[in-house]
Amino acid sequence: MKFFGQEIKHPEKLDLHQFNDHAHHDIENLKQDIHSSWGKIAPTWPLKNLIAVNPLMGFDSLPFEQALVEAEKYFLQKEIPQQMLEVNRHSIKWLQAFYDQGQSSIAMPLRHLGLLHSTLMLLKHDRSLVQRGSWQQAWLEALPESAEEIIQSCLSFLNIEKDDYALMMTLMLTTLPGWSAYTKYRCEWADAADQQQHVVSESEYLAFRLLLTCLIWPDAQELLIWHHTISPNQTNQDKFLDGLHKSEQQYQHRLLNQLSKQKPPVDMHCPSAQWIFCIDVRSEPFRRALESTGDYQTLGFAGFFGLPISVRDQITDDNYASCPVLLKPQFEIQQSPCCDHEHHQRGHLRMQGLKRIYQSLKYNFTTPFNLVETLGLATGLWMGLKSLVPNLALKLKSTASQTIRTNFVNDIDISGIPLEQQINQSANALKMMGLCKNFAPLVIFCGHGSATQNNAYATALDCGACGGRHGGTNAQVLAKMLNQSSVRNALAEMNIIIPDDTVFLAAQHNTTTDEVEIFSEETSDHFAHNLEKIKNDLVQARHKNSAWRLAQLYPQKSDAQPALTTQHHAQDWAQVRPEWGLSKNASFIIGPRWLTQQVDLEGRSFLHSYEWNEDKEASSLTTILTAPMIVTHWINSQYFFSTLDNIAFGGGSKISKNITGKIGIMQGNASDLMHGLPLQSVFKNDDEPYHECLRLSVMVYAPHEMIKSVIDQHSNLQKLFANGWIHLFCLDPVSKQQYQLSQELVWTPLN
Amino acid sequence: MLNLPLFNFDALSLLMICLVGFIGLVVGSFSLRYMAGDRKKKAFFVQLALLISSISILVSADFMPLLVLAWWVSNLLLCRIMLHKSEWAAAKASAHLALKNFTLGAIALASAVAILGWSSGTWQISALKFSSIPTMAMAFSGVLILIAALSQSAIWPFHRWLLSSLNSPTPVSALMHAGLVNGGGFLIARFAFVFLEQAWLMQWVFILGSITALLGTCWKLMQHDVKRMLACSTMGQMGFMLAECGLGLFAAAISHLIWHGMFKAYLFLNSGSAATEKRVLLNTHPSKLHFLIAICLGGLGAISFAYVSQRPLLPHDTSLFIHVLAWVACTQGALSVLQSQFRFNLLIAAAVSVLIAMIYAGNLSLIEYLLEPMQILVPQSMVAIHWIVLGLLLIVWLLMFLRYMLPEQSYVPGWRLRLYVSMLNASQPSAKTVTAHRNHYQY
Repeated sequence: MKFFGQEIKHPEKLDLHQFNDHAHHDIENLKQDIHSSWGKIAPTWPLKNLIAVNPLMGFDSLPFEQALVEAEKYFLQKEIPQQMLEVNRHSIKWLQAFYDQGQSSIAMPLRHLGLLHSTLMLLKHDRSLVQRGSWQQAWLEALPESAEEIIQSCLSFLNIEKDDYALMMTLMLTTLPGWSAYTKYRCEWADAADQQQHVVSESEYLAFRLLLTCLIWPDAQELLIWHHTISPNQTNQDKFLDGLHKSEQQYQHRLLNQLSKQKPPVDMHCPSAQWIFCIDVRSEPFRRALESTGDYQTLGFAGFFGLPISVRDQITDDNYASCPVLLKPQFEIQQSPCCDHEHHQRGHLRMQGLKRIYQSLKYNFTTPFNLVETLGLATGLWMGLKSLVPNLALKLKSTASQTIRTNFVNDIDISGIPLEQQINQSANALKMMGLCKNFAPLVIFCGHGSATQNNAYATALDCGACGGRHGGTNAQVLAKMLNQSSVRNALAEMNIIIPDDTVFLAAQHNTTTDEVEIFSEETSDHFAHNLEKIKNDLVQARHKNSAWRLAQLYPQKSDAQPALTTQHHAQDWAQVRPEWGLSKNASFIIGPRWLTQQVDLEGRSFLHSYEWNEDKEASSLTTILTAPMIVTHWINSQYFFSTLDNIAFGGGSKISKNITGKIGIMQGNASDLMHGLPLQSVFKNDDEPYHECLRLSVMVYAPHEMIKSVIDQHSNLQKLFANGWIHLFCLDPVSKQQYQLSQELVWTPLN
Repeated sequence: MLNLPLFNFDALSLLMICLVGFIGLVVGSFSLRYMAGDRKKKAFFVQLALLISSISILVSADFMPLLVLAWWVSNLLLCRIMLHKSEWAAAKASAHLALKNFTLGAIALASAVAILGWSSGTWQISALKFSSIPTMAMAFSGVLILIAALSQSAIWPFHRWLLSSLNSPTPVSALMHAGLVNGGGFLIARFAFVFLEQAWLMQWVFILGSITALLGTCWKLMQHDVKRMLACSTMGQMGFMLAECGLGLFAAAISHLIWHGMFKAYLFLNSGSAATEKRVLLNTHPSKLHFLIAICLGGLGAISFAYVSQRPLLPHDTSLFIHVLAWVACTQGALSVLQSQFRFNLLIAAAVSVLIAMIYAGNLSLIEYLLEPMQILVPQSMVAIHWIVLGLLLIVWLLMFLRYMLPEQSYVPGWRLRLYVSMLNASQPSAKTVTAHRNHYQY
């Protein structure tokens, strides 16, 4: 035990009065240091809504090249000082316990006191760290109350110079980056329900880390020395950057070349249906496939359809935000069965009752011994079916759950949005997607979601714009609003005239199987006929897109029944690559569909519909550049860095993953919280990446002065473009020129 | 002596081969997709095939040196397949820890076999029963076999390797928890005659098993990650299996081993779903009336159990344990129905209680029936220690209800905090097997 040695070595540290002298240290300065150390950490979301973030967000005020150097110093070190490992082990143990959202049946006591004070109380009883009568015990007892004061005491205990405070605290965070990132999420982003129950603050977390460091490694000032000895490998870095520039230029050159050949259509005819898809890169190949099957026009728009809503299920009482994490939901949508509410309520209670029986036997003393023998045979058979004849197993499962709880179509109650807001929201949405005239008889809003089994990362495949949820509900809400005559009348006054025979529908694209489910309400004969045709076309589009996607997954094999194979992927509990998700994403194209319609973008482009000449004040462009573009940049960076180093920035292999506290992934017995995408999402196999590391190239079809004026007004955009985190290109419709925005924020003509 | 009968395919070995073969098949087909793209996929399947063959030899060996050899080889293979990626230091440490533990077990087993062989003059397990063995030799070999069994089945104080074994790929954990970790129960059942002749040894088996059952279950309830929870749960279940052996109910222990193996293999393979599993609020405190009704309905369950398994309702020997457990489970099942909102609560509660009892009795009787020719169901008479443990099992179950009565923010006395911390620390994996620095992880 290391502590015995320390008892003699640090007797002076028991002299607690010295802290009082330091107590006058400017707490304000300390708060500054705390703030700046947290600035280096990007948040990470829990498994229930895995939102893509740029893991180097904390460095995005630096030029990209320099951020990589910093990242290497803080996150890519192969080794850290030996004693720090012990500090980390203890930190992980307590963080696992504190952040548990319902895995353990006997929870950590005193969690309501917050991270710092609950662990402090428990640490006093931790005989593996604090022996009875040791200096550690006395020291713990004498600690001040507030988190900042404790940080102060710990830093002076460790003999850290004031100038090094910020660095020391940064190192406390970056030597256990995943758990720090989750703490950042909890402090700044978590919904109230998560945060209120067991409070944690940025100061508390730092105090907690420093406390453990003091107890375990009183000489931790060596950590600073260690940090200063790190010298990043410049040649590797240069080589990587060279390659990166080359492949980016290659990609951009090809894309710009393809786009420059496109001509605007001469006449605007009205299609038989208009589809609005999410900007997600997975929409692009599907839109292409769908367009080839019939007279359809497709548009791209953020998959939450501009609606800042939360959804409450009246049967289960679940409530979730269904909009980007950057927004706060403003309206609550009620979701309930369309008919026979009572019957479905009973069904839900029956299901809950069965779960209760099972769980009360499983998470208990004495009864589990019996439970395993009672269920052993049945689970054995079930497991055999699932592995050997998965289709049959799924049929059985759905029959069984149907018997207990019949399926139903959800009805949406939008009365939570006042009429005036309904009018505003729909007008904004239509303007933003550039759909204010030429309405087809059918306009279909199509959200998206994935379908996978036994997949801890499932929500990473869902709609990011809907906060990692399925987007169908948002589509339903918008369609329902626009089908109301009250809304249409008001829109007509704003010069958005929707023909009476135009019907709005909602649908949901399953990105794993390419099935599209249409949530239909109307049943007129003419309408039914149209719908029949559309459904047939959807089957064709599904076949086509599944075949294309399977070719990406299995380049060697050709598949006779692609739709069946993707269906299997969605139902297979052993599948680690159900779909490629947003892998290979590389560009964001903002412009009309004709610009991209004839081009095979290989599922690498986010597509946002935009008509510059109907956006006189550039207000839509401002929104697109400051909201969807930032989201696509986060997604792009998440894939970029998860591929660049899947251990430091990714989740590692799914093969040995271990879900902790229902919130995140650890590797094996216990580890840092492995934030980022798993290996299988971005790599073909252990050695070959599938995703290609390219920074996002944004292409805007609008006059260059117009784009520049938006950038000039937003320092956040200037920061990202000037530091080379995003490449911006302008396809100028007036001068017919292509421009690239240089890092000095000047347009450089390209051709 | 060329016509040495190396193997003895009796009911026990056939059952074990079926179990391991079935799990092997399921795990193998699962891994075909699960391990796609893994650098070591081929090696993994070769090791899997070798491991299953070697376990099959182990369970059917009659020639004792072959048994020891198969035991050792199987465990070596297990360590190899657990390791998977040797670049990952923590995984290496896990395998190393397991190897040390298994080596001890193998040495103990080899010594036991040597003692039995030399003192009886026969090297066939099937012939040992009929040969005379000196008491001392019997005692020594019994203790040594017990040590081998304890280390294999992660019985306290040999549990550390199991709680530290989760650096392995998920399918390996599934296979292991349905496979080799059960080796202890199998071994004791195989050498049941050695134990049955020594009542004191039986009691030690029972005591160590009971301690492990209680500790494992307690730790399981405290864990925050799904895999360690499953590992602690297995530890508790292994303890219970061993306790059943100590009660003379070897056939019941084998039944437990088989059904638990299937259940746990499933839970491991399905562990990717842990985040979406929603816990139904279990912390509603039952009313006295509900509790009383549930106890009666549990009694109804116990009667059905006795009826289906064709036993007396209240046996005067150690089979009483199984009856009491059936009663507890039926009571718990009925109680949770009463606390839910079913339409015909009382009727459904009764039905659930009877159903639990009948399925339990059915599964148990099936294995006991298959093992009947082995004559390894030898209930002992109840002694003080049995009563104590039985009482403890009831008390901790009742204590779990008390837990629900305490609001989270209430005052917690110091002794409870101390108990919590010491239990939490005791259930941690060994330090070297934790990936304390992120970049130490390798795939």
